[in-house]
Amino acid sequence: MQLLVLLGLALLVGGTLAPVSHRALTTAAIVLQAVGIALLGVGGALVLFGAPAFGAAFRSGLDPALGIDGLTGFFLATLAVVAAPATIYARGYLVGVTHSRALVALGGLFLIALVGLVMARDPSTFLACWELMTLAPAAAILVRRDDAGVRHAVFVYLAVTHLGGAGVWICVLALAHYGAIGDPGALAAQGAGVQALIILAAIIGFGTKAGLMPLHSWLPRAHPVAPSHVSALMSGVMIKVALYGLIRVLFEWAAPAPLWTGLVVLGLGLLSSLGGVLYALVQHDLKRLLAFHSIENVGIIALGLGASILFASEGDETWAAIAFAAALLHILNHAVFKALLFLAAGAFERVLGTLELDRIGGLLRRMPWTGGAFLIGSMAIAGVPPLNGFASEWLTLQALIHVAFGPSLGLGLGGALATAGLAATAVLAVFCFVKVVGLVLLGAPRRAEAEEAVEAVPSMRGAPVFLAGCCVVLGAVPGLLIPPLMELAPHPRSLAAEPGLSIPGTGSLPSPWLLLGLLAMTGLLWRLRGSRRSAPVPAWACGQPIERSLAWSSAGFTKPLRLVLEAVLRPRREIEAVRERGQLQSIRYRGEVPHLFDTLLYGPVQRGALAGALVARRLQSGSVRAYAAYLLALLLGLLLLVRIGAIG
Amino acid sequence: MTVLAGAIQILGGLALAPLLPGAIQALKARLQGRRGPSPLQPYRELRRLWGKTLADPQPTTVLYRLAPCIVAAATILALFLVPIAGLSPAWPLGNDAIVLLGLLALARFALAAASWDTGSGFALMGSSRDLTLSVFAEALLVLALTLAALPAGSTDLVAMSAAAGGSAIWSEPAHWCAAVAFALVVLVETGRQPIDNPDTHLELTMIHEGPLLEYAGRDLALLEWSAAARHWIFLVVAAELYLPHWGGFGLRLACLTAALAALCVALAFTETAQAKMRILRAPALLAGGCLLALVGLVSGLVG
Repeated sequence: MQLLVLLGLALLVGGTLAPVSHRALTTAAIVLQAVGIALLGVGGALVLFGAPAFGAAFRSGLDPALGIDGLTGFFLATLAVVAAPATIYARGYLVGVTHSRALVALGGLFLIALVGLVMARDPSTFLACWELMTLAPAAAILVRRDDAGVRHAVFVYLAVTHLGGAGVWICVLALAHYGAIGDPGALAAQGAGVQALIILAAIIGFGTKAGLMPLHSWLPRAHPVAPSHVSALMSGVMIKVALYGLIRVLFEWAAPAPLWTGLVVLGLGLLSSLGGVLYALVQHDLKRLLAFHSIENVGIIALGLGASILFASEGDETWAAIAFAAALLHILNHAVFKALLFLAAGAFERVLGTLELDRIGGLLRRMPWTGGAFLIGSMAIAGVPPLNGFASEWLTLQALIHVAFGPSLGLGLGGALATAGLAATAVLAVFCFVKVVGLVLLGAPRRAEAEEAVEAVPSMRGAPVFLAGCCVVLGAVPGLLIPPLMELAPHPRSLAAEPGLSIPGTGSLPSPWLLLGLLAMTGLLWRLRGSRRSAPVPAWACGQPIERSLAWSSAGFTKPLRLVLEAVLRPRREIEAVRERGQLQSIRYRGEVPHLFDTLLYGPVQRGALAGALVARRLQSGSVRAYAAYLLALLLGLLLLVRIGAIG
Repeated sequence: MTVLAGAIQILGGLALAPLLPGAIQALKARLQGRRGPSPLQPYRELRRLWGKTLADPQPTTVLYRLAPCIVAAATILALFLVPIAGLSPAWPLGNDAIVLLGLLALARFALAAASWDTGSGFALMGSSRDLTLSVFAEALLVLALTLAALPAGSTDLVAMSAAAGGSAIWSEPAHWCAAVAFALVVLVETGRQPIDNPDTHLELTMIHEGPLLEYAGRDLALLEWSAAARHWIFLVVAAELYLPHWGGFGLRLACLTAALAALCVALAFTETAQAKMRILRAPALLAGGCLLALVGLVSGLVG
């Protein structure tokens, strides 16, 4: 066990340093990184499934320490499931890319930061890895591309995550100050005020990094511009690791979290899940759409966590553990399918040179492996049975329904609103991913590159196919994971391990039978239907031939919803007709759905900050005498304060 | 008893489902002063379609050809989940209400993906409208199910059906709200007026019919049967959870039959009396239903 983890760490570090030292070592480095992270994942999974915790325990002192307990084990396993295939994928993805050595090294550094963060057992390692985790992908983005747009996206990413991330520093240092890291009782002595401050700092700090709305502004900017294997890790794991921090604070160090925390987390989760999927629906770029979907899924996870806190504060410890397990299960599931989708998107981008949704089409026929995996991932994220997304969303929805059962009116109403919101989110996700599947994989190719697309190289198609397999397996046997995950809850409850989910108070989700039943029944009907094929016919368009210019667009498909939600989304459209001598020459059309959080929330804040900076700049005259005067004024002011007894 | 319930679940669902839209259609014609088709017309159409050759619009992938089988398979599995007269044999699929929704969502996904595969504007128009309405209908449906699950403390359809039995439940305002909310869901999910017009032959106004436009032969037969089975599923759930029933299995079976007949009559009347509403107005109606369900929940929690 010890050997396994140490070997994994050593390989990971070796894999990161190797490409720096020599060009020929790049492939070896990738293999080292993948094997290292896989070993760490195996170690984590062993601890999760009952092997004794390993390494140091949590401490509030500043001397570095590492260790693995159940929760860390779970996150290590999640990280490994995503990172090992993503690293292998990078082998094919980085061929012919400039600075590929630097990208491999930065990828390794990113992995080290993620591993270090979840294994950290003291505040200094935790915070150091936290910063490294933010900076490594930023560097990777800039190494890959550095046009003005990308630089601005990275600036926003760093600025927002650092401003928000101050919350993490405040929270972790305050916890360390009170000795609460590793000693849950320590904070209870400090009173509710300190606890509230720490919890708020944690929600803001970790929530920003996790992309919870309205703190998500950086996420849809940074994820699309990163290289695909880094996007997969950012969306699949990095934002989950931020949730890891939140879970540690809310469920361990500052536990028991009060009732209002549960309501706040539930509210943020509801806003993120509905807002994330609504904005995803109106995106026209595949990677940006996927980034917004990460916000939605973080929202769903937050709904589970919020429900768990509410159950715990009501004293229902069984459901608190179930909701906690639902959130963790969704963390794993989302990591798997989101990484799959980002990796497949990278393969598509490589072939097409663009990910503009309206200009792809028909890739399932040309790229059966990557396309098939993408289809499975899309169905999983849309939350349709029998895949993994359905299992965790089912469990989360069950938890919310049980919150709605009361007993108190406020909780019941909150639970009911969250239930309805999650149900609407699930349909919106189906809406969104049917659109994506249709525009990317199905129908006729919409541009020449899509007609001539060829399947990706083995390393690039292997990773999505492996992850698609994980989607199916996790969808078939989610019940095997639930008991160990319930053991991680603050008040562990045990449940018999079986492949399906039979939770008391539900009609049970026998997922393996569902999968078998669907396969068998579809096969049977396919046989009954017979594979007789008639002569090909054109699709019906009132007798007109369907041309490329008539093909349905992303905007067309979502039009009814945009019209219904006009008051919320406030879409803008401009139509400009150019006439010359009474004849219509051309029509220009521009339509977009502005991101209201940017225009209404961040815009004014940004303008206010800039205006404030302009005022403050007048103080900086550059003259030494002025600065001497400031010093004198400060001194006098302090003396005055001492004189009147305000300080000292 | 349980064996009989199981047999009705599957055989009834498979064989009797087309009778429901047939009966509604025949009754509607009578109400409108026409002779109309016989209630058995859907069976004749299914037989006719089963003998016809398939059409293969170009360019499509295998997903287009698989979609009718996936839709029908998901619907058949859904039949296993819905208890009859409060009983369901211990199928290995369980009886969870939310799993039922999941299976119907799978059918919706498959059909909408097939519309993208043909690229036909009418099919896509239909599925985009269907999905837009479903966003609101699903929220309403889950709220109505939550209300029905409240007295049972579980989302198990068998337990919910048992808790909805007897007369005491009807003194709860929550149950009335839930019944009205679910009635709206039935209108949306079965594609009836005022939400959708099942008789329309104008492609531009189609919602549920749109995605079926390109299909022919056995594919269309499977999809038509699935649409009829959705009627069966939603009407049986409405009867089991939201309409009065009591007594032992025999009596409850009679209640169920009466309730199905009453629901068919009610749907025929609504179809006759109501004009189709503008599609963009429908979400407001459904949102109103959600509010009603929330009011019901408040009364359920207070009372």
